[in-house]
Amino acid sequence: MSLAIETEKLTKAYGRKARGIEDVDLAVEEGEVFGFLGPNGAGKTTTVRTLLGFLRPTGGRGEVFGLDIRRDSVEIRARVGNLPGEFALEDKMTGEGLLEYFARLRGVKDLGYARELSERLGAELHRPMRRLSRGNKQKIGLVQAMFHRPPLLMLDEPTGGLDPLVQEEFLDIIEEVRAEGRTVFFSSHNLAEVERVCDRVGIIRGGRLAAVETTETLIDKSFRHVVLTFAEDVDPKPFADLSGVRNLEGGGKRISFTLDDGLDEMVKLAAGHRLVNMEYERPSLEEVFLTYYERENGEGR
Amino acid sequence: MSVVLNRGEKGRHAARAGGTLFALVSHTVRMQLRGVIIWGVALGLYSAGMVASFTAIEGSADQLNQLMDAYPKGMLEAFGVTDLGDPANYLHSQVFGLAPLALSFFPILALANAIAGAEERGTIDVLLGNPLPRWQLVAGNFIAASISLLEICAVVGLLTWGTAALVDVDLSLREVADAVLNLWPICIVFGTVALLCSALFHRRGLAIAVPAFLLFGTYLIDTIGRASEDLEDWRPVSVFYYYGSAIENGIDWTHFGSITLIALALSLLAALVFKQRDIYT
Repeated sequence: MSLAIETEKLTKAYGRKARGIEDVDLAVEEGEVFGFLGPNGAGKTTTVRTLLGFLRPTGGRGEVFGLDIRRDSVEIRARVGNLPGEFALEDKMTGEGLLEYFARLRGVKDLGYARELSERLGAELHRPMRRLSRGNKQKIGLVQAMFHRPPLLMLDEPTGGLDPLVQEEFLDIIEEVRAEGRTVFFSSHNLAEVERVCDRVGIIRGGRLAAVETTETLIDKSFRHVVLTFAEDVDPKPFADLSGVRNLEGGGKRISFTLDDGLDEMVKLAAGHRLVNMEYERPSLEEVFLTYYERENGEGR
Repeated sequence: MSVVLNRGEKGRHAARAGGTLFALVSHTVRMQLRGVIIWGVALGLYSAGMVASFTAIEGSADQLNQLMDAYPKGMLEAFGVTDLGDPANYLHSQVFGLAPLALSFFPILALANAIAGAEERGTIDVLLGNPLPRWQLVAGNFIAASISLLEICAVVGLLTWGTAALVDVDLSLREVADAVLNLWPICIVFGTVALLCSALFHRRGLAIAVPAFLLFGTYLIDTIGRASEDLEDWRPVSVFYYYGSAIENGIDWTHFGSITLIALALSLLAALVFKQRDIYT
């Protein structure tokens, strides 16, 4: 499968004051929905804006559909629907006016899909932007990114300001986009939605790509929440001493802890007692994500 | 693996580039229409008022000229007053000699908004998310501001000439057309200074302040240079030195073309500068 986005040691330095991105190696395949995760200031927006040619990279290289991000920025933007994270729309314009203008810029004759998307998302197209709420502006932002059916959607926090029903509709649209074989690259703080629609996720921290995995693998490779219930009181200390165990709580007949690794040792130790019940739960993507950042903070200290 | 665009693709892109430039220009001109009406009517009504007021002083022009003779000659030259009994000279001294000081703010504001203003408002990422080359953002805004400025000049010209015809002041359409058309290069050149600053500094305030400072600075150099022999040698550095009085003498096409070329060069420089830099939001 060919790549929609490929970067090699992509670097954008802003100078001493602000952190950009450093040595980002990214490969997003055509047809996948790729989630790009990280807190504010981690480098998500810098990565997207560098790929679109708004920022000049200070090192490395990047391609979108094989087109060079330095040389072919206009051609790249012709193939991309972009929703910036922080954006504003011209106050005097209506959504309809904006879509007609962008259709002319893109050579799109038929606004049928734009109207369909607007209807599904409940976007108000006939009121001036200055009279629209943040959520309504966000809907128009989404429609302008998607109405020309680009082969790649780059969406920065696409569901910010949307109510839950509209978020659901948006995720349905993303699944339709994937079914059409188009690619979606989106950053989000809402990890439940990332978990629902993304095939793979990349986690960026401190301007560096910390991990890229399929959503399932990322969760599978991560820790587990374990709750053990015994028939009689047990000493929790041997469990606490196991190398993969942390956050141990409880005592007596019931103990709970987080297990990073060492499943075999834990099971053998538990089997030495009369076990009544064992709960063994996968974490949510949100917990996995937070763990990455706790590690970073730990390293920082 | 990098893709190299072939000749056919490049041809299609060139054709689309013309389409995007046209779309940008027509959209921007439409968005500026309200400003055109406000500026055109305000300046046009002022000019029409001056035309109407000429009928009141026409009968006492000789006395007024005698009174003017009592003023220092340099001062009268500074404001272009030679014969208040001549409607063309009267309108030059009262309207068209001063109009660039006000009207230049239309292109200055419009072109400061084009890049730095769009960055400050946060609209530039959405606009440039479209396949719009950066040079077209610069060129498109320059062309749109030029068209809108011409529209303002036309409104001012029509109100001036219409009033003159109505109150029977001896002012030909040709004289008025020359006067308003001559406003275009001197105003647009300060707009392109704003465009260059907008491309350089990504701060709208700075992109307005620098051309405004130049506008008043060069006006003062030329005006004081007319009155003072010590400063006369400095006048050629001021763009107002080349402005003249088109309502009396017709347009000096060499000066008109030279100022237009400077405006084009500044726009080209703005496009080159903007191509190189990061876009801020």
